[in-house]
Amino acid sequence: MALLEVNDLRTHFFTREGVVRAVDGVSFSVEIGKTLGIVGESGSGKSVTALSVMGLIPQPPARIVSGSVVFDGRDLTKLSNRQLEDVRGRQIAMIFQDPMTSLNPTLTIGMQIVETLRRHLRLSKQQAHKRAVELLEEVHIPDAARRLSDYPHRYSGGMRQRVMVAIALSCNPRLLIADEPTTALDVTVQAGILDLLYELREEHQMAMILITHDMGVVAEAADDVAVMYAGQLVERGTSDEIFTRPEHPYTEALLGALPHVESASVREERLTAIPGRPPDLIDPPEACRFAPRCPYAGLGSCSTVPPELREIRDGHWVRSAHPASERAGAAQEAGVT
Amino acid sequence: MSTTDRNASFESALLEAATAVKVHDAGAALRRSSLWRDGLRRFTNNRAAVIAAVAFLVMVGFVVLGPIVDNSNPYYINYAIAYQPPTWAHPFGTDEFGRDLFVRTALGGRLSIEIGIGATFAIMVIGILYGSISGFVGGWLDNVQMRFLDTLYGLPYLPFAIIALAIFGTVNFWTMVVALSIASWFTTARVMRGQIISLKENDYVRAARAVGARWYRVLFRHLLPNTLGMIIVFVFLELPGVVLGEAFLSFIGLGINPPQASWGSLAEDGYTAYATHPYIIIVPSICIAWLILSAFFIADGLRDALDPRTRETREG
Repeated sequence: MALLEVNDLRTHFFTREGVVRAVDGVSFSVEIGKTLGIVGESGSGKSVTALSVMGLIPQPPARIVSGSVVFDGRDLTKLSNRQLEDVRGRQIAMIFQDPMTSLNPTLTIGMQIVETLRRHLRLSKQQAHKRAVELLEEVHIPDAARRLSDYPHRYSGGMRQRVMVAIALSCNPRLLIADEPTTALDVTVQAGILDLLYELREEHQMAMILITHDMGVVAEAADDVAVMYAGQLVERGTSDEIFTRPEHPYTEALLGALPHVESASVREERLTAIPGRPPDLIDPPEACRFAPRCPYAGLGSCSTVPPELREIRDGHWVRSAHPASERAGAAQEAGVT
Repeated sequence: MSTTDRNASFESALLEAATAVKVHDAGAALRRSSLWRDGLRRFTNNRAAVIAAVAFLVMVGFVVLGPIVDNSNPYYINYAIAYQPPTWAHPFGTDEFGRDLFVRTALGGRLSIEIGIGATFAIMVIGILYGSISGFVGGWLDNVQMRFLDTLYGLPYLPFAIIALAIFGTVNFWTMVVALSIASWFTTARVMRGQIISLKENDYVRAARAVGARWYRVLFRHLLPNTLGMIIVFVFLELPGVVLGEAFLSFIGLGINPPQASWGSLAEDGYTAYATHPYIIIVPSICIAWLILSAFFIADGLRDALDPRTRETREG
């Protein structure tokens, strides 16, 4: 059984301009010990999905209008705030994008780790302190015992993200949600943080949701990949499948826009950009949301009937009227190459 | 994995090198409070603020030590020495009853400053509670609280204070504190609400909630301590206001009653004889101005010291 199962999750923002359908019918599952990569461009609903799982969406204006988030047999959307607070940090932990602002500048690093430890585990002050030192050592911060009494401003960005990782892992959560954990960091530091995440994931046998817009990061780290576009999942499958045989035109375009990736199914031309812009989520296209930007739109019924997510191969789901493998024949007839 | 290690140790080595020079002999206690130490450094670089702080301390020293150094009885009436100009025996002269004005000014200052501190404390407590609840809870409660505040906001605070004193019927330290704070906490509450609302959006608040922190932890551990800088600045902004308010009430005869004295009532005593014996009104007036100006300059310096961003925009 999957550790986390998200079913038809819909999170909408009720604003003055209208209802923003930020997450609109997303389903996925994460197995114990596996990593799911969620990719998509800015505003595709990746972060809102993660925050919905955590129960951290800003209410109001946002609300989970339907769907379920079943973690370890319990539907988190049905829990009270108090019950959720006991799950957060203990069972599911989260790392945020910007380590420079994710630590409270008025508390020492030690206080912030100890705080989390004592919140969920029954530890004395001394025990918590000892554990905090161990955690800092675990994320490779040298001279951990002494650095514990430093304030965050004495830490660099990379070290702060290490501290965030230490805090997230402090109570041995079963699921770690990393929301663009390396976006705000230098490339060299990014690699370090990713290495650290893999290493600790193995050690702690956690499941992980890795949210990013960096296809390279996903290719390296994820077992499964879910591609989001305009609040919906457009493609889902194992990392191998998605990268070697992408089906959805959007995924193809994303991989085509990526430098240095050269594989059979990716057009071996220059770096290509996707024309157009993501749709307005207050008033999205009625049928396929990618239709306005899709080079194959109009070939099928997809501009009038919204395509459903369907299983095109074993474990490979796609939401498109003309996935790559079905297109080969039809495209030639229509004169599109 | 080895790259991870190397990165981290490189980062820390750099930090080490940077800090070793400065902090080597400063010791652990200082290192811990470097956030405030930076603020202190910026404050001491501000000449006006330092002078104001010294002036403030001199005034506090005067009202505390004055009555101890000079042991004349502030209530002893001796018409033989009425209206004496300043001499060595009576540095600030004597009033119409021959009472020593040096001791009376110092004692009056004690009362004025005590009332000032008491009322400021009350204003801060009410304002912080009201504002932080409003900002933290948000939603309809915030709306109700703010509309209520809007209603009160139009009302001027001195008439409020006068009415309050009339209702109490007596004037003493406590009634003065209530009268002066009852209508002056609105701004503090509003600013506090704004601070809490903007702090609430901070990533570390979300991060704290993501590890399961309950609301009181978020409020008391993550939000309020971050407003401390603003609170300190506001203390020094509110203090002169209430000191002036107290002086005004006493001056028009609604405040401290004789034979007790405050700066306001001393000025009122001098007002009746300002043409012939100007020193009687000049001394308490200077004291009031001294305290108010120094507090304002301290507040200004503190604001620059504790929030370096405003300073940067000002300088360029």
